[in-house]
Amino acid sequence: MKFSSSLKDGVLVFALKGKIMGGPESQEFHDELKKAVNSGQRKLIMDLGEVEWMNSSGLGLLISALTTARNAGGEMKLARSTDKITSLLVITKLNSVFDSHPNVQAAAASFK
Amino acid sequence: MTFDPRPPAHLPDDDRIARLDARFGELAELTDALLRSLREGAADPALADRWLAVWREAARGEAVLNLIREVERERQENQTLTEISMKLSSTSAIEEVLRTILDSLRQVVQFDAAGIFVYDREIGQLEIDMLVGYEKSERQVLYQKFQEGVKVGQGIVGTVIMTGHYIYDPDVRRDPRYIAARESTLSELAVPIMARGEIIGALNLESDKPDAFTERDRRSLTAFANHAGVALERARSDRLRQHTRRMQEEITLARRIQTSFLPESTPDFAPYDLAGANFPSSEVGGDYYDFIPITQNDMGIAIGDVTGHGVGAALLMANFRACLRIESRNNFAVRAILGKVNDYLYETNLPESFVTAVYGVLDRQNHVFSYANAGHNPPFRLRRDGGAELLTVGGLLLGAFPNVAYEETSVQLSPGDVLLFYTDGVTEAHDNEGNEFGAERLRTMVQKLRNHSARDIVKQVSEAVREFQSVEIAQDDLTLSIVKYD
Repeated sequence: MKFSSSLKDGVLVFALKGKIMGGPESQEFHDELKKAVNSGQRKLIMDLGEVEWMNSSGLGLLISALTTARNAGGEMKLARSTDKITSLLVITKLNSVFDSHPNVQAAAASFK
Repeated sequence: MTFDPRPPAHLPDDDRIARLDARFGELAELTDALLRSLREGAADPALADRWLAVWREAARGEAVLNLIREVERERQENQTLTEISMKLSSTSAIEEVLRTILDSLRQVVQFDAAGIFVYDREIGQLEIDMLVGYEKSERQVLYQKFQEGVKVGQGIVGTVIMTGHYIYDPDVRRDPRYIAARESTLSELAVPIMARGEIIGALNLESDKPDAFTERDRRSLTAFANHAGVALERARSDRLRQHTRRMQEEITLARRIQTSFLPESTPDFAPYDLAGANFPSSEVGGDYYDFIPITQNDMGIAIGDVTGHGVGAALLMANFRACLRIESRNNFAVRAILGKVNDYLYETNLPESFVTAVYGVLDRQNHVFSYANAGHNPPFRLRRDGGAELLTVGGLLLGAFPNVAYEETSVQLSPGDVLLFYTDGVTEAHDNEGNEFGAERLRTMVQKLRNHSARDIVKQVSEAVREFQSVEIAQDDLTLSIVKYD
């Protein structure tokens, strides 16, 4: 898993890449996310378009990110979920919790 | 004030015997020349002066004595190093080895205090491993300073560890790097301790005399430091081995705990035929299935998958199982049971861990299966006529969010129906080409085997999956269970 973040119009976009399956990088991701939220960032988007694969630990990462955002009074949206991720979200019924959008622009627009 | 390291005194090298030999040779030649000139009656005063100078020096015998002392010291040093090597191979107590190194060093180098320091690369700080020649109060001062944190590059020892070069400091009072602990120390010599080409620490000598150490001492110290390096490296790999063994024991324990959660035998529940199996992956996994007798005619059927692997997953599973078993006996409504399990797990869980599960109650009198699916791969209900339904009604996975409401539904079962429960380890088993076993392959296979006993279906399907999956790719746990209405 790799990730990068970029700030655009007050929305912080995390672009996740590769296999999201827990491990030390997910701790790095959490640290980065917490730092952003602690510094006042409230609008977050997870761009999942480049995610090759995700297991339950990967879902745990998304859940934890959402919880972190919401506990701070913020919100987190998903963008560009792949078919595999969409089906995981359907099975786990997390689709009732996550707000998913076809692209980053649509996800950003949904904050307004 | 900058410190200018004094170039170490240069002592005779290995050619010193040859040089001594040359000196005596020179004397012999001069004597011959002088005697020849005397016999010839033409004494050369310059030659006589020269001869006298060389003869006087040789007559003092200092060069000879020095060499004898040198050779003796080397012999002793070699013997000591051999003793250390033997000690090193006979004991694994690092403290004893380091103490022997410092004690033995005293036989070949004069010093008043010594210390062995190791570098913890992970935290970038130095630690004291051994001190000799320090008063209790001085020791405390030094330990205090190191506890506050001495980084690489700090102090004389820290600088040696950073640069990998020795430092000889003939007068520490003039060196701002010196970390004062012993008041009487005047000169200090520190060399790096190497292991497998890496700097792992430093060996440090202090003297109460100024300019107390020589190049010869530096070389002795380096030889001893090499032995300290071997000892420290071995102690480190011993610790690592012990750690690995403890981890292994922990995994074994976790696996035993996990296995103990699975049903030892399958209850008789005619006309229903029940069976289940779990194949943990190489790590301790987090799959679970259960048959929980509730009343004479009601059987709880559960399958679950907790996030992650290892001890954490085993603990979460233990929690989930205990909670489900308690709630399943207190409540009759499946949705209420899952709601309570969810809240309990949410309260006790880390935010990123969760459980997906299906729980249902099979009523054998009325042939009704009432279930709720909490974010788990939907079980199949396979009909005798080949039709199939997915059991998807329920709600969110368990333990990640508070106050989740679950829906439940009842399935009226007919003779010949097969309920097939599984975890994603079955459907996501990969072969070498990266193909998944898949839910469709699973469904078709069970449909074909529908006339076999539940136990036989479980056996054949798990064998097929294990045969399908690549042995080279790390795989998830495999769990499946079958409820068959005969």
